[in-house]
Amino acid sequence: LCRVLLPALALTLALALFGFAAAAGPRQTPALELAQELAEELWSAGLPGDLPELEPECRSLLAAFAEGSAALTGCLGRRARPVRLCQGCHGHYRRLLAQYGSIASAVGNSSESHNCAKSILTSDRLQIVVTLSEFFNETWEAANCANCLKNNSEGLSNSTEEFLDLFNKSLTCFEHNLQGQAIDLSPSNYTEVCKNCNETYKKLNDLYTHLQRINRQGGESAHSAHLCIDVEDAMNITRKLWSRTFNCSLPCSDTVPVIAVSSFILFLPIVFYLSSFLHSKQKKRILILPKRIQSNANLVNIQEKYS
Amino acid sequence: MANVAKKVSWSGRDRDDDEDGRAGETTPLLNGTGPGAAGSGRQLTPSSFLRIGQLSNVDLNEDIHELETEVSRQHPNEIPHNEKLLSLKYESLDYDNSENQLFLEEERRINHAAFRTVEIKRWVICAMIGILTGLVACFIDIVVENLAGLKYRVVKDNIDKFTAKGGLSFSLLLWATLNASVVMVGSLIVAFIEPVAAGSGIPQIKCYLNGVKIPHVVRLKTLVIKVCGVILSVVGGLAVGKEGPMIHSGSVIAAGISQGRSTSLKRDFKIFEYFRRDTEKRDFVSAGAAAGVSAAFGAPVGGVLFSLEEGASFWNQFLTWRIFFASMISTFTLNSVLSVYHGNAWDLSSPGLINFGRFDSEKMGYTIQEIPIFIFMGVVGGILGALFNALNYWLTMFRIRYIHRPCLQVVEAMLVAAVTATVGFVMIYCSRDCQPIQGSSVAYPLQLFCADGEYNSMATAFFNTPEKSVVSLFHDPPGSYNPMTLGMFTLMYFFLACWTYGLTVSAGVFIPSLLIGAAWGRLFGISLSYLTKGSIWADPGKYALMGAAAQLGGIVRMTLSLTVIMMEATGNVTYGFPIMLVLMTAKIVGDYFVEGLYDMHIQLQSVPFLHWEAPVTSHSLTAREVMSTPVTCLRRIERVGTVVDILSDTSSNHNGFPVVESNSDTTQVAGLRGLILRSQLIVLLKHKVFVERANLNLVQRRLKLKDFRDAYPRFPPIQSIHVSQDERECMIDLSEFMNPSPYTVPQEASLPRVFKLFRALGLRHLVVVDNRNEVVGMVTRKDLARYRLGKEGLEELSLAQT
Repeated sequence: LCRVLLPALALTLALALFGFAAAAGPRQTPALELAQELAEELWSAGLPGDLPELEPECRSLLAAFAEGSAALTGCLGRRARPVRLCQGCHGHYRRLLAQYGSIASAVGNSSESHNCAKSILTSDRLQIVVTLSEFFNETWEAANCANCLKNNSEGLSNSTEEFLDLFNKSLTCFEHNLQGQAIDLSPSNYTEVCKNCNETYKKLNDLYTHLQRINRQGGESAHSAHLCIDVEDAMNITRKLWSRTFNCSLPCSDTVPVIAVSSFILFLPIVFYLSSFLHSKQKKRILILPKRIQSNANLVNIQEKYS
Repeated sequence: MANVAKKVSWSGRDRDDDEDGRAGETTPLLNGTGPGAAGSGRQLTPSSFLRIGQLSNVDLNEDIHELETEVSRQHPNEIPHNEKLLSLKYESLDYDNSENQLFLEEERRINHAAFRTVEIKRWVICAMIGILTGLVACFIDIVVENLAGLKYRVVKDNIDKFTAKGGLSFSLLLWATLNASVVMVGSLIVAFIEPVAAGSGIPQIKCYLNGVKIPHVVRLKTLVIKVCGVILSVVGGLAVGKEGPMIHSGSVIAAGISQGRSTSLKRDFKIFEYFRRDTEKRDFVSAGAAAGVSAAFGAPVGGVLFSLEEGASFWNQFLTWRIFFASMISTFTLNSVLSVYHGNAWDLSSPGLINFGRFDSEKMGYTIQEIPIFIFMGVVGGILGALFNALNYWLTMFRIRYIHRPCLQVVEAMLVAAVTATVGFVMIYCSRDCQPIQGSSVAYPLQLFCADGEYNSMATAFFNTPEKSVVSLFHDPPGSYNPMTLGMFTLMYFFLACWTYGLTVSAGVFIPSLLIGAAWGRLFGISLSYLTKGSIWADPGKYALMGAAAQLGGIVRMTLSLTVIMMEATGNVTYGFPIMLVLMTAKIVGDYFVEGLYDMHIQLQSVPFLHWEAPVTSHSLTAREVMSTPVTCLRRIERVGTVVDILSDTSSNHNGFPVVESNSDTTQVAGLRGLILRSQLIVLLKHKVFVERANLNLVQRRLKLKDFRDAYPRFPPIQSIHVSQDERECMIDLSEFMNPSPYTVPQEASLPRVFKLFRALGLRHLVVVDNRNEVVGMVTRKDLARYRLGKEGLEELSLAQT
């Protein structure tokens, strides 16, 4: 066995070292994989692990992070439409943050050069853990979820709860009122809905504007100008239903007075210019004859001279 | 003589005494000043000996000529205003130092170390110009932002309220009334307090740097009116920008600081007295103009080049370096103050009043295939610019002829403001272009008839200050505007901007031009990507930029400085090449039809503006044909009465008088000895520097150059100088005060040669002499500026009283 193993060990070492030395080299990933496989074989054979290998603590941290990110990804994907990211996934996100934090701060027990942060986060070109965590952070930022969570990001904030309650209420209102008319299926016959749910919708809309105003006053930096995506999307859906599908917000168009007023105003300049053309005295300029040697040095003369 | 002795008055302080005395004795003086026939008897006295010089070579025509003049004076020849006039109102600046004995003595007294102090003072002044210009720009920006924000919030709330209930016509009325009343205030202060503050001020500064003295153009009062006027007209929703006026403001600041005093405030800080003359002041004004450009666009190099382009006939590298310093200081000041104001101190990310935003070269890069398209856009910009200028030309002509009373001008400005609001409202009302509100950075989203959660995209263009609209046209993601909206917007805004420029409000044309250009450029980009099925030309933003450059180039026809300004404002050097191509094409195409807007307005104002070179076909004209003759000359030792009469003669408002040898014998040759200016004569008369008084030892001290400087730049009119009957008989010795080495040319010199001398040295008077050094004629700015290359060859403009 030893005869077989020793060259293999040597090969492993060489490959692993090569992988470390040329961290940016193109062959490093297969090399590492190979090293990994070989190392596992070594482990199973009960050999001591003085190889450039993850320590068990680090390995478990990595595994936890992998599971956490898988859970978060699944959550995000499932709640993409209608958007419920912040409500549903904030627990996952918080846990993942903690896991990442423990990786970043964990120090392996052997030596400084072997701490987990270094070997997991920065020892290769791809740095997949960092990339993953950055991706999640960015998504979270873009969704602006911090906006509808409590300050310690445990659970939804009160205003968000209130809003979602109202949102659910209006949705149920829509459903109730639509049930009677579902048989008709004519798109213009949503007057029932408009009449009955107007109050709830108004409340919802007002609350949304209120939240927006508070948000704008509170946060000055650019990214916090938006509410969190859940609230925004909920409002969007409701508004679309309300004005597009149900056609409820029919503004009274008063075209006639607008045309009258605007044509009156547009008519004024014409009157002004005409009257000033007709009544204003045209400004005259008094010509001054210059003192020249020849009085015939005028335009005609010049023209004749040069043409 | 006793009377002379009694009247010792060295300054204008005891004007009361003067006026007391004047009441009794005014009669003869006023008679002399009167334009009527009474003056003719006295006027003969100067003119009879003034002709000494010409007697030898004047032809017989002259008497006839004189007769004609007399006749025409009785029946003034009135014509309607047109572009082929030169106004008598405008005078030249004295860029050429009068090198008289006083000046030479002073220069000799200043040693090397003192010159160094002067140099340091120049730098200090430039820094102050930069700082103050930047602060003024900040002030304008902040006030406009707040006032306009307030206005738009009020109108938006009103519209939102009435959309639900009905009665949108009230919102329209509210909007129009708000605009009109704000503009009314802006127009009132301009029309009644300081008319020279109207417009962008760039033509006026161009004239100033060219060497024309525009009355009131660099006064503190003008600055105040200009700044308030700009704020009010932008807040009033006119199709105007606040960038052009910054150039004027910078110039006024420069002129004010460099003099170390303000005549409007009657404060003299007793500093920078060395700089109280036109030459030095002009240098600082060019620094101020550069600082203004740099504050307006965040383009320090562009500002320097602007000054170079407009005032380049007198230039040196040290001045350039100083001007660059002033520009940099100005943009830095604006930047740091605005960053503090916006809450992120020391971020320094808003270098100019208009910030084009970041043009990322990755997203908005261009390929070589797009260059022909850009050039085509330049052609379009040139044509549209020429159309703009032609329309504005007719409008301005109409305004000069018929709308010349201040109250009419105010009414016109109000009407334009009301119509601007109405057009905007109707466009928004009719538009059905709704965009989702999410993810857009609209400042005042108007919903109107859009579904909830959407906004009217026409409203982003009209319901906003023009600067913001430009930026959103550059940077809004593709699909934010539909082509119909952009087309209507371009059309409407084109006419509105054209109508607005030339109103009696202070406002610039840069931003409206950029906005028109950006709108059609974006439209062009959208249709291009539609035609090519959206392959590589995805982003319409860069086409908006090129369109903006093309339109601006087509209207103002600036070349070098505009390229650099645009390049700096976008912050992307790789755009330099296409922008240059676009501007070149726009200028070439535009010049084919009609000249640039600023030049056009200079011409319409009848300003004697000297271009770079004499008209190309003018080589066979000689100084003899160009000059004015006969010349009113003074003798070296002249009778005071004669001087007073000459200065008081309103029909010949001359400013420079050749001084000839004072021999009473008319048959002898009276050679040219020097040149003296009206302002110098007035100071001499005011201080009563008469030979008799000197002989009687009545003069306490010699007149110094300081006395001339203290009177600068507003020399009192001759009417305010009191000269008694006894004093009229005194003699005045000019030899110490005249410029003993004036520039002269012989009669045979060609017009281009005279022109070159005149333009390059910044002269005000050029004496024409014959081979015996006798004065034959005088060439002034108006004599040269009246020749112009018109459509059918060389044209001659006529002089007119305006």
